[in-house]
Amino acid sequence: MLKIEDLHVAVGNKDGGGSEILKGLSLEVPKGEVHAIMGPNGSGKSTLSYTIAGRDGYEATSGDVLLDGQSVLDLDPDERAAKGLFLSFQHPMEIPGVQTMNFIRTALNAQRKARGEGEVSAADFIRLIREKAKLVGLDDAKLKRQFNVGFSGGEKKRMEMLQMAMFEPHFAIMDETDSGLDIDALKMVGAVVNELRGPDRGFLVITHYQRLLDYIKPDAVHVLAGGRIVKSGGPELAVELEKSGYDQFIEAA
Amino acid sequence: MTAMAKPSPFEAAIEAAYAARSKTNEAQAAAFDRFARLGLPHRRVEGWKWSDVNAALRAAAPGEVETPEIAPSPFAPLEPLEFRIVNGRIDLPKEDAPEGVRYGVMNPVGTIDELEQHAIATLNVAMTRKTLGIEVLDGVDFERPILIRHISGGAGFSFAQTMMRISPNAKVQIIETYEGEGAGFYSHLGHMVVRDGAEMRRAVLNETGAENVTHGICAAKLDEKARFYQTGLSTGARLSRHETHVHFWAPGSSASLNSASLLSGERHADFTSEAQFRAPDCAAAQLHKGVARDRARNVFQGKFNVWRDAQKTDAKMTANALLLSDGAEANHKPELEIYADDVECAHGSTVGALDDEALFYLRQRGLDEAAARALLVEAFVGEAMENIEDEALRAIFAERIADWLEKE
Ligand SMILES: Nc1ncnc2c1ncn2[C@@H]1O[C@H](COP(=O)(O)OP(=O)(O)OP(=O)(O)O)[C@@H](O)[C@H]1O
Ligand SMILES: [Mg+2]
Repeated sequence: MLKIEDLHVAVGNKDGGGSEILKGLSLEVPKGEVHAIMGPNGSGKSTLSYTIAGRDGYEATSGDVLLDGQSVLDLDPDERAAKGLFLSFQHPMEIPGVQTMNFIRTALNAQRKARGEGEVSAADFIRLIREKAKLVGLDDAKLKRQFNVGFSGGEKKRMEMLQMAMFEPHFAIMDETDSGLDIDALKMVGAVVNELRGPDRGFLVITHYQRLLDYIKPDAVHVLAGGRIVKSGGPELAVELEKSGYDQFIEAA
Repeated sequence: MTAMAKPSPFEAAIEAAYAARSKTNEAQAAAFDRFARLGLPHRRVEGWKWSDVNAALRAAAPGEVETPEIAPSPFAPLEPLEFRIVNGRIDLPKEDAPEGVRYGVMNPVGTIDELEQHAIATLNVAMTRKTLGIEVLDGVDFERPILIRHISGGAGFSFAQTMMRISPNAKVQIIETYEGEGAGFYSHLGHMVVRDGAEMRRAVLNETGAENVTHGICAAKLDEKARFYQTGLSTGARLSRHETHVHFWAPGSSASLNSASLLSGERHADFTSEAQFRAPDCAAAQLHKGVARDRARNVFQGKFNVWRDAQKTDAKMTANALLLSDGAEANHKPELEIYADDVECAHGSTVGALDDEALFYLRQRGLDEAAARALLVEAFVGEAMENIEDEALRAIFAERIADWLEKE
């Protein structure tokens, strides 16, 4: 369902003239699968997720990203979102003055409208968000606050998971959602993913730790180093990496 | 009568109108003499560097006032007690005076001492024929908002005054709207007295046309434990300037002075204020948010003056501007002048553009570019509206903001 072909990405300045971070990355996540990406700091994992999601300044210089066989690289970020592409941010931001519930509802309805679906009624929305908030462990008071303002790191990650649960994305990229989470929160992330998991959904889970993968059993694990996927394997690869680190791959790349 | 030295066409027209008047009192004659010496403020006068009224009025030839068409007020759903001041003429509400308030048309009030050297205040004193007086009686919590609509039309000039007295322990919400599509000049001088333990909330909406020049002054005197909460929103004009002069005369009073502007085209909005802390234990919070695009210009000038006896003053001022185009401008002048030693005063000022990271975040969630930008601007401006207590009133302000975002 998600196919990345020989992707090159340079960041640093707007003309793409900066340094090349992704240097011919290829990867395929078939329908219904969960793949994990691991890799050293600065190897380009977030760069990859921004490029897939369409952030300005992270344009592909060559190669392609295909969702269900169609290139997404010419689409605006919101058009990609409407196709069901979701990014759980590594560092979710605070947006002062934006009312959380209002924003999530506006976003949900914008996606639905772009797909030609009807709006979710206010009553249905409230019911749904209450239910999902419970699942991710955010209380009502948090939903009434301005978006992420004054939230702890873990609470911000819960807010990402709340949105993922609400939008039920077709393909989700989770950029270090587990970083900074306590054990209960890790289990919660596992529960959200496992509830959504299904034959028509895919996940790309970026992580530094094998622990999250105890809760989300990946179908495959890839190692990103030097701007490429240097090794792919089954869940056992994560265990091995935890033991021996990335040194071997940095040499190789 | 002193003649003006080298009057501009507008000044000459004002001078002629004054000379043609049959009845003026001594205070008005003295005020006009002072104005004749001062002239309309221009950019070389302190406090007017960024808002040159004289230049703004030179842009159009003075003409006649015209009776404007009056649309229903956006605040009508609140069922306010509605006053209109149309080209300076006062229209009292069509209903009988409700219990708890008194009002009427009075003879004009004289000069406010603190504004004696203020050219437009002085001119207003000289030119205004009648004053709208409103009093909220002792201990009354007047639940209906009081709406004062300032409406002007045509290319002439008009002047008006209001005098408001909020009696001890009374409470009221005032709404003032500045409306009018004409190319004229309107000046309003408001005296507000908030007595011991009383609370006045004042919400101001300026939606005058692009050719208009509007100047509003609110001079508020706060007695012991009085509360004065003000919120202003302006979409600008050729020049709109709203001044607030708050005097804390007795201990324990507090004020908030929030304002926001949303400007496009060549529009100009100015929020200027001073807070004079003359007694101990008073507090003020001020938040200004300015949004400007195209070639619009936003001005904020705020001054906290803490007198020697005003110990334990707690005052905070913040001004943030958001510039949406390269040609837009924001001018901020926050000032603190402190003569007491045991006070907490702070000010901050920022000017910036929309945050790219926030924009991307919102778009990743499905909002298109226009919707994402609008949401961020709305959030930015909305913070200054948070001191409006009444939810329904706050919602109408939010609608005005949303309307502007949709149109622009
Ligand atoms: N906007 C940018 N401007 C300049 N350099 C950038 C930009 N974004 C990323 N980089 C650089 O690209 C490289 C890859 O960064 P990226 O954030 O993708 O790494 P990562 O694999 O996600 O790291 P981590 O594990 O620490 O999250 C780093 O050297 C980073 O400094
Ligand atoms: Mg990263």
